[in-house]
Amino acid sequence: MALLRTENVTKAFGALTAVNGVSLEVEAGSLHSIIGPNGAGKTTLFNLFTGQLTPTSGRIVFDGRDITGTPSHRVAHLGIARSFQRTNVFPALSLLDNVWIAAFARRGSWRGFAWRRADRYPEVTERALAALRDVGLQDRANQLAREISHGEQRQLELAIALAAAPRLLLLDEPAAGLSPDETQRMVALVRGLKGRYTIVLIEHKMDIIMGVSDRVSVMHFGSLIAEGTPAEIQRNADVQRAYLGGVVVE
Amino acid sequence: MSRAWLAVFAAVILLPLAVRHAIASEIWIFAIFGLGLNLLLGYTGLLSFGQSTFFGSAGYVSGYLLKHYGINVFAALGIGVLVGAVSAALVGYLCVQRSGLYFIMLTFALNQMFYFIAYQWTTVTGGEDGMPGIGRPVLLGVDFRQPLAYYIFVALLFLVSLWVMKRIVESPLGKILQAIRENEVRAQAVGYDGARLKLLAFVIGGAFSGLAGVLYAMLFGIVPLEAIGFVFSGNVVFATLIGGSGSLYGPIVGSFVFIWLSESVSVVWARWPLLLGVAFVIVVIFFRGGCVEAWARFWSWRERRRMATRLAS
Amino acid sequence: MLYALMGLGLSLITGILNIPNFAHGALFAVGAYFLASTLHVVGNFWLALVLAPVGVAVLGLAIEYAGIRPLYRAGHDYQLLFTFGLSLILSEGIIVVWGPIGFSQLPPPILRGGLDLGFIFYPKYRLFVMVMAGLLVLATWLFLEKTRYGAIMRAGIEDKEMVSLLGIDIHRLFTAAFALGAYLAGIAGALTAPIRGLSPGMGVDMLGIAFVVVALGGLGNLLGAIAAGLLIGVAQSIVAFYWTEASVAVIFAVMAAVLLVRPQGLFGIR
Repeated sequence: MALLRTENVTKAFGALTAVNGVSLEVEAGSLHSIIGPNGAGKTTLFNLFTGQLTPTSGRIVFDGRDITGTPSHRVAHLGIARSFQRTNVFPALSLLDNVWIAAFARRGSWRGFAWRRADRYPEVTERALAALRDVGLQDRANQLAREISHGEQRQLELAIALAAAPRLLLLDEPAAGLSPDETQRMVALVRGLKGRYTIVLIEHKMDIIMGVSDRVSVMHFGSLIAEGTPAEIQRNADVQRAYLGGVVVE
Repeated sequence: MSRAWLAVFAAVILLPLAVRHAIASEIWIFAIFGLGLNLLLGYTGLLSFGQSTFFGSAGYVSGYLLKHYGINVFAALGIGVLVGAVSAALVGYLCVQRSGLYFIMLTFALNQMFYFIAYQWTTVTGGEDGMPGIGRPVLLGVDFRQPLAYYIFVALLFLVSLWVMKRIVESPLGKILQAIRENEVRAQAVGYDGARLKLLAFVIGGAFSGLAGVLYAMLFGIVPLEAIGFVFSGNVVFATLIGGSGSLYGPIVGSFVFIWLSESVSVVWARWPLLLGVAFVIVVIFFRGGCVEAWARFWSWRERRRMATRLAS
Repeated sequence: MLYALMGLGLSLITGILNIPNFAHGALFAVGAYFLASTLHVVGNFWLALVLAPVGVAVLGLAIEYAGIRPLYRAGHDYQLLFTFGLSLILSEGIIVVWGPIGFSQLPPPILRGGLDLGFIFYPKYRLFVMVMAGLLVLATWLFLEKTRYGAIMRAGIEDKEMVSLLGIDIHRLFTAAFALGAYLAGIAGALTAPIRGLSPGMGVDMLGIAFVVVALGGLGNLLGAIAAGLLIGVAQSIVAFYWTEASVAVIFAVMAAVLLVRPQGLFGIR
């Protein structure tokens, strides 16, 4: 069954149509990648999923529920978590607090949230630490987010999304700005998450996608031009033309 | 019990020995006012330049009830807290959607609106002359007209306020507000309604201001028009910044410095606000970060020197 | 029209320098007092009207250069504290120099008395101020729209990085903008002096109004500031006609009402 389904979603900014009639189905438990060159509208699509933007037309359905135009803080409570392409953490807070805040948001009840001491929510702290462990940052829990390296901030970015115990994880170019080494580690990390979460992954580097994805959708100038398994996509001539600018790779 | 609390207790006990009881009371009242602002300024990153709106409104309402109906002290305080919170909810509702300069300007402009209402509504507020004749009723046989008795009362309420604020900033809410300060978009993305939580911080800050406003009215027996004026709003911002907005205890230190400064310069010269203005400018130029941070810097500098001498020998 | 003048100056400063200028009202008051003093010395109203605002602009220049420039990176809280302290210094300085009691200032002889407009009898000087303020707003507008320097200033509101990439000294731009804003505040004050008289508190009253104008017009939106200034002025005169006491509070009430309906301000985009 599709956990996330979009029907003909379009987003126009004035004369520019950033996302054009996208219909997409993400199967529960799968890792679905969306690839396309920079400016193809991938991040805009994520912003539509998470309520940062409202579509001009079309519908977004999550788990059978219409979430079109729902504000982002509510979408988060439904169980959609995302990471950002440009690192988007809480710089002056410790790593633990960064993830703790995300973990607390998804707690069923906020009772006593203005009064009870934060350390009296052991299950939240536990989940926050687990998220840090998942990305390998457990040893740096007490450091401030602004003090760690860019690569580590990318991992923290991911941990914040994980801490929300999401039912759907949206990853926006988790390897953006990473060195080849760090990229390898990040790919391994994402592979480790596969199966535990339903994941939608945005990436513009083909090689990262092909090894980990169950399905791949290709976006070009705001529209979906192909969808299939990684192998099918690699063989697809249209994709090669659009994506690789006519250069055929062996 | 931490060192900071020990210091606070010591100050509460020693202060009335060092300065007049009225000034000592004023310091703690101003500290309560500052605690409320700092939740906004330090924790949420909202620079409100209209805190005297809530301070003054609470003073006027409770003062009026005390004066004409002789209500119970606790009722007066409760009503003051409520008035502070409600007026902050009204102002906050208009302001929290905006950020940066807009936010500052709006809090200030709305402050001016309340000021002009108080200024013109002379039948109730006394306009420029202020609202005099506010009594301190006897409570449980204690006569609060006695300066020391009132000081103790104020100091106890201050300690309660500090404890409450400590609980708030150490609760999840405290962390969430800091997260909003750091990165509102991300806080929104993980599931927090930024505008509503900022409004909540605003209301809590307003409640603290309201408490301070009533205590102030009872201390001097009058609500002067200045209590709702923008200079008062500026003073509390100054006190909080000078103490250090990064720390829970900053506004307390700031309140000390500010009241001490204004009391001592006002004796010297009738035009003391001029000197106060100079003090603001000096602080901005030389002491950015406030006392608490300057203190921390001083300690780390001493540590380093001690290490250096030890290494040298 | 005077509100438009104040709002325009403040909008320029907040828009370009991105600082909360709480000294704007004090500059307005200083303008009025400068007029009174220069008039006293030179004895000619017109000359004084030219000189006084220039004096304020020079003061603004000095303030920006010595005080505000080091604070661009300091955050709004410290900028606010600085301009607020400055405002205290200026308005208390006025009391020290000119005394705490306000006084009135007569308009020049030819502008005394009223003019019969057929349907209403209107004081000549007020008419003069209206025309004068209108001309100044127009002149400022033309300067910003039509001259190269004006274009740079408008660009400075939109995108500071771009401006400095073009090889323009951003600090000089800031200083110029602040001086121009101070000049507008100063001349507004000078023009006001014969209407409302002088008092040390005049600056603060005006400051609140100027902020309202900017908030309604939209930060850094110059046309918006002009329109909002006019709107506020008209609203106030209408209310003053029926209910004098409420005429100041109504300004803020208008603002609150507008913001409820349109949180981004009347003409705001952000």
